Amino acid sequence: MGVIEFIGVSKAFGPNVVLRHLDLVLPEGQTTAIIGPSGTGKSVLLKHIVGLIKPDAGEVRCFGTDMARAPEREIYAARRRLGMLFQDGALFDSMSVGENVEFPLVHHAPQMSAAQRRDRVAEKLALVGMSGTEGRATAGLSGGQRKRVGLARAIVMEPEVVLFDEPNSGLDPMTSDAIDQLIVDMKAALGVTFVVISHDIVGTVKVADHIAMLYGGDLVAWGPTASVLRSEVPIVRRFLGRNLVLPTGPDGVAHLPQLG
Amino acid sequence: MSAAPIPPLPPLPAAAGVGASADEGATVQALREIGRIGIFAGALAARLFRRPFFWSEALYHLWTTTLRCLLPVVAVTLPFGMVIALQGLEIFRMFGAERLLSSLVSVAVLRELSPVLASVLVAAQGGSSTAAELGSMRIKEEIDATEVMAVDGLQYLVLPRFLGLMLATPLLNIAGNVAGLVGGYVMAVWIEGEPGGIFLGNLWALTAPMDVWAGLLKTLVFGAVIGLVACYQGYNTTGGAAGVGRAVNDTVVQAVLVFIVANYFLTSALFGGMGP
Amino acid sequence: MSFLAALGQFCFFLVDLATAALRHGIPWRAVLAEAYKIGVRSLPILLTIAVFVGTNLSLQGYNAFRPLGGGRLVGMFVALAGVRELGPIIAAAMVAAKAGTEMASQIGVMRIREQIDALDVMAVNPLAYLVAPRMLGSVLVMPALTIIAVFVMLASALATAVFQLGVKPAAFLEFAIRGVQPIDLVYVQVKSFIFGVIICTVSCWFGFTCKSGPEGVGEATNKAVVTAAVTCVSLNFFLSQLMYGG
Repeated sequence: MGVIEFIGVSKAFGPNVVLRHLDLVLPEGQTTAIIGPSGTGKSVLLKHIVGLIKPDAGEVRCFGTDMARAPEREIYAARRRLGMLFQDGALFDSMSVGENVEFPLVHHAPQMSAAQRRDRVAEKLALVGMSGTEGRATAGLSGGQRKRVGLARAIVMEPEVVLFDEPNSGLDPMTSDAIDQLIVDMKAALGVTFVVISHDIVGTVKVADHIAMLYGGDLVAWGPTASVLRSEVPIVRRFLGRNLVLPTGPDGVAHLPQLG
Repeated sequence: MSAAPIPPLPPLPAAAGVGASADEGATVQALREIGRIGIFAGALAARLFRRPFFWSEALYHLWTTTLRCLLPVVAVTLPFGMVIALQGLEIFRMFGAERLLSSLVSVAVLRELSPVLASVLVAAQGGSSTAAELGSMRIKEEIDATEVMAVDGLQYLVLPRFLGLMLATPLLNIAGNVAGLVGGYVMAVWIEGEPGGIFLGNLWALTAPMDVWAGLLKTLVFGAVIGLVACYQGYNTTGGAAGVGRAVNDTVVQAVLVFIVANYFLTSALFGGMGP
Repeated sequence: MSFLAALGQFCFFLVDLATAALRHGIPWRAVLAEAYKIGVRSLPILLTIAVFVGTNLSLQGYNAFRPLGGGRLVGMFVALAGVRELGPIIAAAMVAAKAGTEMASQIGVMRIREQIDALDVMAVNPLAYLVAPRMLGSVLVMPALTIIAVFVMLASALATAVFQLGVKPAAFLEFAIRGVQPIDLVYVQVKSFIFGVIICTVSCWFGFTCKSGPEGVGEATNKAVVTAAVTCVSLNFFLSQLMYGG
């Protein structure tokens, strides 16, 4: 049973067709990575899930709610059950780290006391390796730190689905690894559905249970990680090419696989 | 959650303060800023006579600024002319002196309203778009790139924009003069039914060509202020996209402040208060 | 985008704003915080401008009326023009220049850094959370700012008339009072209320629709201040015509 479903979804921006009659069901409790070259609509896909973008045709369902057509109340109810990490963290500059992470609790958990909120914030910050930073101003944080705080904010309500918009972009290798490991650990502990948009093949292979690849508006690959890696589709092989053993030609020299 | 937390990265060094420290008073900071603007003005003035002088850039900026600000200036001075006529009539009717209305409109528009309004709108439209342009060039390191290519940023990028703003303001003042007088006419004659001939006849009763020149002089000075502030703020923008917004904000506020104050002194000097 | 298309989108924005505010309620503490910020930040420049507009009102009014033998009338002219027209206008202009540009740039930066999307995704309506408090704060504080501006302007005009022009204070004040009716004070409030609404909604809308990058923020801030100022001045004429027209 999928908690996130795309049914015949099409979306174009002017002449640029970004999604073409997409059918996709993201499996519950698993990590799905969506990969593809730049500009192929990976972020667009993610924004459809949360209802920030509405499809030209078809339905996007999240927890069974039609995220394009349902009344605002239902969309908001669905959104309260998910968390999203934006590319640069999207933290509020006017608030401190602690206030940022606390924000969803303040608005959606009125039954919690200030002390309970404080504890929950501290717990999530510790989880992302940012203990003790509650009082820090967001302005001085590095990119990696902003993502960690953004992630803490995304999980503070203990959602059932967490979405990641290119979590590794702009990070140094060490921090990038750390974020990948965090995703793996959290998935194991929570049994939560993760959706990760990524350019980074190495990280994707590490964290993903399933991979979907978008190219030219179509889904060119979809399935468990292992089987996608073995895909025979030329564009998929080319995109994942870095991880594959390069075939040697008749001249005995290794070369990149040809586009079919 | 039972997942082990990942080890945190070592803490960043404390953010170093940039520029003035926080415990300097606001007055000291303001004076410092004025000093810097003065130095900037000097640097610009020095480049006026240096070659190469980018004529086509200066003319381009003059042209585009005038075009962009034309509609806003007219859209502001025309209604204001109408409003002066409206309120002025009320006073003059009390004394049966309606025929004097046009002289009041003329005085108000030519000497005060047009110069001030035109300048405010040039600051708001031209000044802020110049500050925004230079500011985002600064943020995106385009100004640095220009310098690295051995082209003087101030000479090539800033001076033409400054001249454009300074010279556009008097031109727009002329438009404002016309619009304001037209507004007064429309209100008095078309709407309120005063005789058109008398209106036009008394238009120059209190004013002379000297007033038009005075208005142009005022706006030349105001234009220079706008140009200086806009270019300074844009050129020295820091702090990303938010900094650009701040530069625009500061430009409009500072420019208007300076020339409204200057306006008082100029008016006193040019038109004087005649004694009792 | 053509002017009509933009106007249409702005109207939709207003409708969305109203529905969001009604549906989600308004955080009153935020409203008061915004009112305070707008008031405090706009006040210094507004007072300065008011002083120097007052001086020039006196100077030019005197120069206009004196040759007609009516130098003493300057008080009436100042009061009438100042209260009915210039007070609301300079308050609107200064609030647009200071608070309006700040709103446009703050919200614009939030837009380009995806913070508004983040609010949406965290199920917090951005219009109710960001725009409504600023709007109510503006209309709360604008009338007060306008009245203060009017007083300062009149005081400054009086000082100029007395010390620079040699008009007798009593004459000035006698005619000044004759230039103002009680109804004028009501009209001033109405004008400043309307201007407050315009400045805030226009600035916030340009911030909301900000295009990406620092140029986008610069453009949004630029358009906000010009549109707000021009709209207020143009509208002022129609309001005056309605209120005072023959």
